[in-house]
Order: sequence, then structure tokens, then C-alpha cells
Amino acid sequence: MARDNIFAGLEIGTSKVCVVVAEARHDGAVKVLGIGTVPSRGIRKGEIVDFETAKRCVHDAIVDAEEKSDVDISEVYLGITGGHIRSFNNRGVVRLEEDREEIEEQDLKDVCKNACDVSLPEQNAILHTIVQRYYVDGRDGVLNPVGLFGKQLEADYHIVYGIGNRIKNAIRCVKELDLETADVVINSFATAQAILDKNQRQLGAIVIDIGGGTTDFVVYVGGAVRQSGVLGVGGDHITNDISIGLKIPTARAERLKIEEGSVNLGTTRPDETILLKDETGFAGREVEREVLNQIIHARLREILEIVRRQIEADQKSLDLVGAGVFITGGCSQIRGLESLAMEVFGMPVRIAHALPIAGVTSAFENPQYATALGLVRYAQFMHLDRPVPKSVLSRIKRFFFA
Amino acid sequence: MVQLNRQYERSYSLEEPITIKVVGVGGAGSNALDRVMLDGIDAVEMVAINTDAQSLAASVATQKVQLGRSLTRGLGTGGDPELGLAAAQEAVEEIRGVLRGGNVIFICTGLGGGTGSGAGPLITQIAKEDNALVLVFAAMPFSFEGRRRCQQAATSLAQLRSVADAVVCFENDRMAELALPRMGIHEAFAAADLTISQSIRSIAKLLQHPGLLHIGFDDVCAVLRNGDARALFGYGEAEGENRAHEALARALKSPLMNRGELLADAYHAVVHICGGTTVTLGEVQIVMEELNRHINDQTQIFMGIAINSKMGGKLSVSVLSSLGDGSVRAVAMQPPVPQSAPSYQPLPPSAPEGGLDPARPAQTALPDRTHATMAGTASAPASGEGDYALMRSFPPGAKRPDAMPLDPASRGRFEKGEPTIIDGENLDIPTFLRKTPESR
Repeated sequence: MARDNIFAGLEIGTSKVCVVVAEARHDGAVKVLGIGTVPSRGIRKGEIVDFETAKRCVHDAIVDAEEKSDVDISEVYLGITGGHIRSFNNRGVVRLEEDREEIEEQDLKDVCKNACDVSLPEQNAILHTIVQRYYVDGRDGVLNPVGLFGKQLEADYHIVYGIGNRIKNAIRCVKELDLETADVVINSFATAQAILDKNQRQLGAIVIDIGGGTTDFVVYVGGAVRQSGVLGVGGDHITNDISIGLKIPTARAERLKIEEGSVNLGTTRPDETILLKDETGFAGREVEREVLNQIIHARLREILEIVRRQIEADQKSLDLVGAGVFITGGCSQIRGLESLAMEVFGMPVRIAHALPIAGVTSAFENPQYATALGLVRYAQFMHLDRPVPKSVLSRIKRFFFA
Repeated sequence: MVQLNRQYERSYSLEEPITIKVVGVGGAGSNALDRVMLDGIDAVEMVAINTDAQSLAASVATQKVQLGRSLTRGLGTGGDPELGLAAAQEAVEEIRGVLRGGNVIFICTGLGGGTGSGAGPLITQIAKEDNALVLVFAAMPFSFEGRRRCQQAATSLAQLRSVADAVVCFENDRMAELALPRMGIHEAFAAADLTISQSIRSIAKLLQHPGLLHIGFDDVCAVLRNGDARALFGYGEAEGENRAHEALARALKSPLMNRGELLADAYHAVVHICGGTTVTLGEVQIVMEELNRHINDQTQIFMGIAINSKMGGKLSVSVLSSLGDGSVRAVAMQPPVPQSAPSYQPLPPSAPEGGLDPARPAQTALPDRTHATMAGTASAPASGEGDYALMRSFPPGAKRPDAMPLDPASRGRFEKGEPTIIDGENLDIPTFLRKTPESR
């Protein structure tokens, strides 16, 4: 890349591979230069199941983005998802030595290391350690402890981990195309970067990204990530349900879902039917609209209820969410999802797309690009934070040499 | 000075040791018995019961009962369950003698033939007399062995289910999945024996060896005396770095478990983790967390941990559970057993009245082989009734556990992939199929 303030975010999704190229301006704004997107193949539930095919898709998407943005992409921020990704919260503690009383940068690293010192299932590797809050000598509310006087430093971390080999697959896919992976980010975290502003993060918000193969969610409380998770269920499942329930081919079910699908029950006239035309335009068969809606309703309600249950596992979480639920991803386009989610969560729900940004306007208006845009935002944020994120490189290396 | 004696023996139930008896009925039963013996098991009484004197003589069991001394004269039953039952009726007192005093009685048998199908239910009934916990391990015939055999097996299985505390049913067809089709036939049969042997040994181990977290006889009873007596069992052993994960994965891979999917419907489950002194808390945590993904919130888990230095670097996980409605089975459901009755009446579903009715001279005059065939045809409607009884035994609201998750068509395009299982539900199956409209 010509300039160091141009970033590319790559999301290898179940329904599409998407590359967003954007320029980070000095004032903190982001300008989208181009978007490359290709329908994906060889990917199931957010994970690569056919390496060569998936690689070709990624290649096409990168080329598409390069053409549209007129930028030569050399490194990408890679979004990661998959049902194997799990998370937990843990606290690390460090006591300073007798002769020191000022907390230093090194102590932050030690406290993080201490928090990560847990027994993960075998073959799992830590993806993210996101700090939630610091305590100095038991005092809460410390934003940055470096330079403060204290004897004991504690920190709460949200730790995300996944199976190393499966994460490596995506990284290798990028590597074989002669691209560098600047960093790997879980999709839910990236999406939240694109959707929530600082105020909403502070108030507390839930972001649910219902994509093609997975549902990723993240809960922000008090400006920090409190919970996150990935469910290996998404829009493909709805299509599959319709295909099984109405006994129609998958491709037809997909179109029916997009064109006619709704989660509203009891709003159709009795016996209201949808006429399915076959390829030649002849009338095929009729399906009852209510049945279609019931199938979609059952699946989406279940997804939302599972997410709610997982969030409720931490009892206080739901009460601390002030800004409400933000739903995005391809499935958020299904009619009536907003009211269903409101019923499930009992709080305001918004079908969200990315925050307004300059450049290609369709980019932020389409919820499908939220994750890839979020990756760019994340890149920008990381860049502002520390210009040379050395730890990042070592982190990626760890997946390979662990 | 008071000193704590660190060497004291923890006396769990030493004042009343649990007597375990393993009974092999018929040819398949004694094969399984031999396998258990071969794999090694201690402090267990082995009893072989068979009509075939030759196979009985070859058995390694310590106690042997020959059935039908005067009826079959040391030969087999020729696949006739009637003959098997009659032969067992001859030897009731002898059977009662060897079974007396057992707290836990495992009965292994192969259904579909004569001795196992005919004598099995009667022996189970006798075993129940002493209020022992009776677990039946029944191997079902391969489907290619013919419809007749399968029918006999199904009838007999229904009888066993109504008498025994729990029936662990091994379908040879599914056992074959363990062995490759190219393997020898003996290996396919041995697969079932091996699984039976593993099950028996690990339950016996669980009951006999005190653990850190002990699982008692009462816990096992609570799990198995419930519901409709369809038991799930899985056993896995692994070594090496990732042994906790692998041991559980192997336990769930057991053909009885259907990759753990059936666990979702269980109300109780016993999990027993056994390993050498190197077992860590983290490993126990991994096993329990992964297992929790397969069961629902209502399931009561009895967890047991035992440290056994014999295990060395190995770690084993046994999962034991039974499907059912969670209600304790009414004792009155079981046919009352007449204590002093000299001869035993066959249980209702197998009574082939048409075949044995003396009022039909034409049939009684038929030679023996035809007689058996007649009995078989006559029992056909009865076996249908047995199936119906099985279906009925699930409460109306509950789904039949083997009805849906096993349906291959219902996962559609996700068929080939790794299933997404959360809280014991396979999310790849359409929601509308899993949830009834009432529960929404």
C-alpha cells in the first residue's frame, strides 16, 4: 500500500467474501475508497471447508477491491468467525516488588499474562485479550494505571479463544495470495467498531450480527467488551429450514426468504399463498405465506433466545445495557425482525448499519458490509494507539509456531 | 497428643459390599461373558446359562447352569424361543440359586435366537425377585439375518424392557459401523462384545472402587431405575496431552450415544472420570464443560472422579444415562412374580396361543420344525403390539428420542458438516421440527 493510512479489511463470510479499502483521515474520519465483494464458495458456518475454492474467492474479491479503489493491497485485517470461538472473563493480579511504587508499562503486560494463565482446551489459542477495567490497590475506575503509585495492580480481561488450526486456515488462505495479515479480529468485535459510537459503548449495547453461516454477538458495558460469542447458525439455516419445510430446492428457498420472508405471525389473510414460478416462468406450486413465516419465525426466535440465554449467563449483563440491541448482518433485512427481537430482549432494538462515513455511500447503508468496515475501523484504532503493533505480528506467528 | 492418621481407609460401603453378578445367556451371552473375563474384572461372579452343553463347557465362567437337561439334552434350541423358554422353566430353581444374593446383576444376551430370546426374559424376571438392580445388555441381530429373527428379537426386547431396570440395546447393524466392512465377520461381532464388556467393567469399577467423588449404588439406581428403561452408555479412554477431550469424544462416539445427541433427552446422567494421579482439575473441567453442551438444563448430573494408579497416563470417561420421562416407573407395572410357582408362565406378548393351542389337533400333530414356524407367524401381531407399547411409553408431549435426531433427511445441506450443538440441541435441524407449536 502506498500510504500507511490506507487499510484493507477482509471478511471471509459464509455468503460472501468482502474486502473494504478505506483511508483513515487525520481527523479520525474514515473514507471508503472501494469495496470488492464476491459470493463465496467453499465456506460453511464461517469456516473454510474447501481451501482451494475459498482461496479463489478471496483472490477475486481482493482483485475486485483493488480495481475499484485503485490501491495495491499488500496487507489485510482479517475477520475471524466460527462456532469454535469462545470467550470468558478473567482477572489478573500483579504485586509490585518492594522497592518500586510506580506502575510501569511492563506491569500491564504482566497483569495481562497473569489473566491469560488459564488452562484452555487443547489446541486452543487466545485471539484477543480485551481489557475491561483496572484496579490499583483495589481502587476501581482507573483508566490508565501507568505512572500511578500503587502496590497492587489488578485488571479484568475479556479473553477470546478458538481452535488454533481453524484460525490458521484463514490466515494461510491470505498468505498464499502473497498478502500479509496485519491482524486477526473476531467478527463481532469488528462489527461493533463499525456500528457503535463511543457514547453507545459507554451506555452499554448488544450487537448481534446474524450473517449467512454464523451469528456473532458482543456486549458492551461501560465502554468495554463484557461478553462475546459465536453461534454456528445463520441465514443458511433459515434457507435450509424453508427448503425442508416447503420441500423446494435450496436456491429457490433462498430467493423466497429474501423476497417474501417475514417473521410476523398472524398478519396474513387466511389461506394467503405465494405462487412459486419455476425457471421458465410457468406457475409452479403455491405455498402458504403463514407457513413460510412460521418457519422463519421459529428459527430467528431461537437464535435470539440462545443469544439472550448466553448473555444472561452473566446475570448482571442485561440490566447494564442502556443503549439497546443493534442487529446487523444479512438476516437483519428480514421483515419484522425488529419487533421480534424487542419481544425477546425486552429493550429497544435497532436494525443497524455502519456509522456514516465518507466515500461510497452504499458501503455503510448495507448491513452486509458492517464487519469489513469494522475491520478498517479497528485498523485505524490500532494505528492511532500504537504505530508499530509489534505484539500483533508475534501473535499471528504464535498460531503457526505454537 | 492427638495425631491424624493419614493412612486411614475411607469406608464407603464396606460393611455391605455390593455383589455384582454377570450372567451370560445363550451363545452370544457367553461370548460377551468370555470377553469380560478376558479383559479382566475383579470381584465379580460370572454365571453362564445356556442350553448348548458344548458351548457351556467352553465358557470360562465360574458358575454354569445348563438349561433343558431333559428337553434339549445338551443341544441348542435351534433358534426356537419357545423351546428356550421351556428349557429355562425346567431349571428355574437352579437359576434362582445362582442369582441369589446379587445386588447388581448384568445379564448379557443375544436376541433373535432361541435361548437368549426365550430364556432371557424369564431369567431377568428371576433376577428381579431379589430386588437387585438388573441391567440387561441385549445384542440385536444384524438386519440381514432375516426378518423372522429380527421379529423374535423385537418381541423379546419388549419383554425385557418391561422387566429389567434398564436395557442397553446393542444393534449389531450399528456395531458394524465400529468395524470396517472389510474386516472379518468375527471382528464385527466382537465389536458388540467389546462394547458390552467395556460397559460392564466400567459400571462395576464405578460401584466397587471408592473415588474422590464417589458415585454410589444409589446414584446408579436413580439414573437407571427411571424412565422407560432405555439406557445410554458411552466409554472412552485416551492418553496424551489432549486426553480429556479425546476420552469424552470417544465416549460420545459410542453407537449407543449417537454422538451425544440422545443425551439431550436424558433426565439423569452419571459421569465418571477415572485416571492416574496426574488428572488435573482443568481436565475435569474440560470434560464437564464439553459434556454440558450435549445435555439440557434439567438434566441432573452425578459426577464421580476416581484416582486409580493402575490407569497410568490414561484417562477414562464413562457416561451412563437413561432416556425416559423422569418419573419413577410404577412397580405395579411389572407382572407380579409368584414366589413359589413351580413353573413359569411366559410373558404375555410372546404367548403364541395359536401355535400351542391343544384344541387344534392338526397343528399339534405337525412335526417340530413346522411347529416353530407356526409359532413365529402367530407371534407376529404380538410383536407389533410390543412396538406399540414402546411408542406409548413416551409421554404424549415428549418426542421420541430416536425419532428425529436420527432422521437423516432433516439436516438438509448441513448433513455432511460438523453439527452445531448447543444445550443438547442440534441446531442444524430446522427449529420448527424440533419445537412443537405449544412450546413456542
